[in-house]
Amino acid sequence: MHSKLINRVALAGFLGAATLLAQDAPLANSSVSIDLPKDSPVAFMGMTTGSSRTSARGAALVLDLNLSLTLRNISANRIHGVTLRVVSQEVAMGGVGSVFQPGLDVGPGEVFPVHIATKLMRPAQMAGGPLLQVNLDGVLFQDLSFYGQDKLHSRRIMTASEMEAQRDRSALKRLLAQGGNPALRDAVLKILARREALPEIQGRIVRGHTVTNAALAAIAPERPEQFALLQFPDGPIQLLRGSALIAGSEARTPSIEVANLTDKPVKYVELGWVLTDINGRAYMAGSLPSTDPTFSLPARGTTKVSQQNSLEFSTGGKPLSIRKVTGFVNQVEFADGKVWVPTRQNMESNPLLLQVMEPSVEEERLANLYVTKGLPALVDELKKY
Amino acid sequence: MSKHPNQATLALHAGGDLGPFRRWLTARHLAHCTACREEVAGYNEMRELLPELAELPEISWNRMAAEIKANIRLGLEAGECVRTAETPLRRPASMAGWRAAVAFASVIVLVGGCMVLERPVPVRAAETSVRSTGDGIQVQAGDDRMLGLMNGGAQKVVYTLDAQGSMGARYIDPETGSVTINTVYAQ
Repeated sequence: MHSKLINRVALAGFLGAATLLAQDAPLANSSVSIDLPKDSPVAFMGMTTGSSRTSARGAALVLDLNLSLTLRNISANRIHGVTLRVVSQEVAMGGVGSVFQPGLDVGPGEVFPVHIATKLMRPAQMAGGPLLQVNLDGVLFQDLSFYGQDKLHSRRIMTASEMEAQRDRSALKRLLAQGGNPALRDAVLKILARREALPEIQGRIVRGHTVTNAALAAIAPERPEQFALLQFPDGPIQLLRGSALIAGSEARTPSIEVANLTDKPVKYVELGWVLTDINGRAYMAGSLPSTDPTFSLPARGTTKVSQQNSLEFSTGGKPLSIRKVTGFVNQVEFADGKVWVPTRQNMESNPLLLQVMEPSVEEERLANLYVTKGLPALVDELKKY
Repeated sequence: MSKHPNQATLALHAGGDLGPFRRWLTARHLAHCTACREEVAGYNEMRELLPELAELPEISWNRMAAEIKANIRLGLEAGECVRTAETPLRRPASMAGWRAAVAFASVIVLVGGCMVLERPVPVRAAETSVRSTGDGIQVQAGDDRMLGLMNGGAQKVVYTLDAQGSMGARYIDPETGSVTINTVYAQ
């Protein structure tokens, strides 16, 4: 009888301790470290942690962070983009992300918000230091000059985004000048319709090869699929040939051979790829970047862009049965740092791209301005620069 | 019209798994038999529509067969040992049944063990992956969830996969009203 009582008390104590361990706790400000270099063009003004919570789950800490940062432009230039690097357990694996805020137009002395929502787990015994570090990876200015560590290639990414923004902003300004408000409204409505009609695709990337099993091989045997190639006649890169291994909803080891048509060496090529399923529906699947450190494409030379990872695609919660893969050149960076992106004519002359390409960041930003503040606000915005 | 091939033959034909002669015979039959062509088309559609069967575990049939054979030998040898240690049998018929039962039970246990051991073996090797979730993108190492960047509350999110090993999510942040692009990297 006595031992039963002791057992019950012990059990109750254990359950109580487990409950306490699992309880949520608000996030202390010291849990997040914001590190900006001394010569940074932006200054950290403050942070609210809102509904951020930490909770212990056994030997791990679960963090649900909802951070609102306020930054100030302390440079003499207008800022058009900022990328923050978000790091958890940098010494361990798998804890790096970035938050890129494109489409900014922040003048000297002005402040702007950056919102970071993140979830992560880390061992409780590492809880001595900050749980999350936020660093500045890069700042892009209106004149395309750049500041930052660029660990995540944010210079190229932000420059390409800014060039697309300038391209699409100019097109809308031309429409406004030629056709007035009705023409601008029509263009924005088309952007909204295109965005709404965009087929949704989700996915999963697995590092390295997957182990294709016997059942998969029997049902959807892996097959080499040649890329259909979309060429831009005035582009700097020509696609020669390419293939990927396809099995059901999985594509792996994509590889495309490219030729440099210019007299300038190229240091980076990014290929977009479009998947068509067995019902003939096309999806913008993603990109094939030439991030191999040994990548080199001399003037008038040829080389291969390839990756060893496996990508799985799904739509509406169901695996996407891949029937066809189409590749096109999405971005080129020359050795001198200049970046090329497709022209509007390149995009508009290809019905497949019109069907699958999301509106650019600038188109999306301006269309959202139209939706939230109306046409006069959009016209005022276009007149700013 | 010639005799229809059976279902198994049509299924194997759909999967390209028949030998050259039977493939030729079946193709010859299909050339003028609409019903069988439809059967084959059905198998082909099933192959396209059931990619989730890819998640079935790989079964090492050769290994399993070898282990079954080894166990049968073990059972027989065990039976031999029992027989030599025993005094002459008064009821040989019932003892023979007992030895067979031991051997049979051993085989059953081994086959069951093989299947149990084979089943939980992950289809994929231990891996780091990045996936889109309902409200963000998450990097995982095996079953451990590492860093995730969330876009909770955003109405339309466009995900992009980078074959290098990262995934991006683009959306209009409901809190700031700004276009935001989150990227998570599998390292």
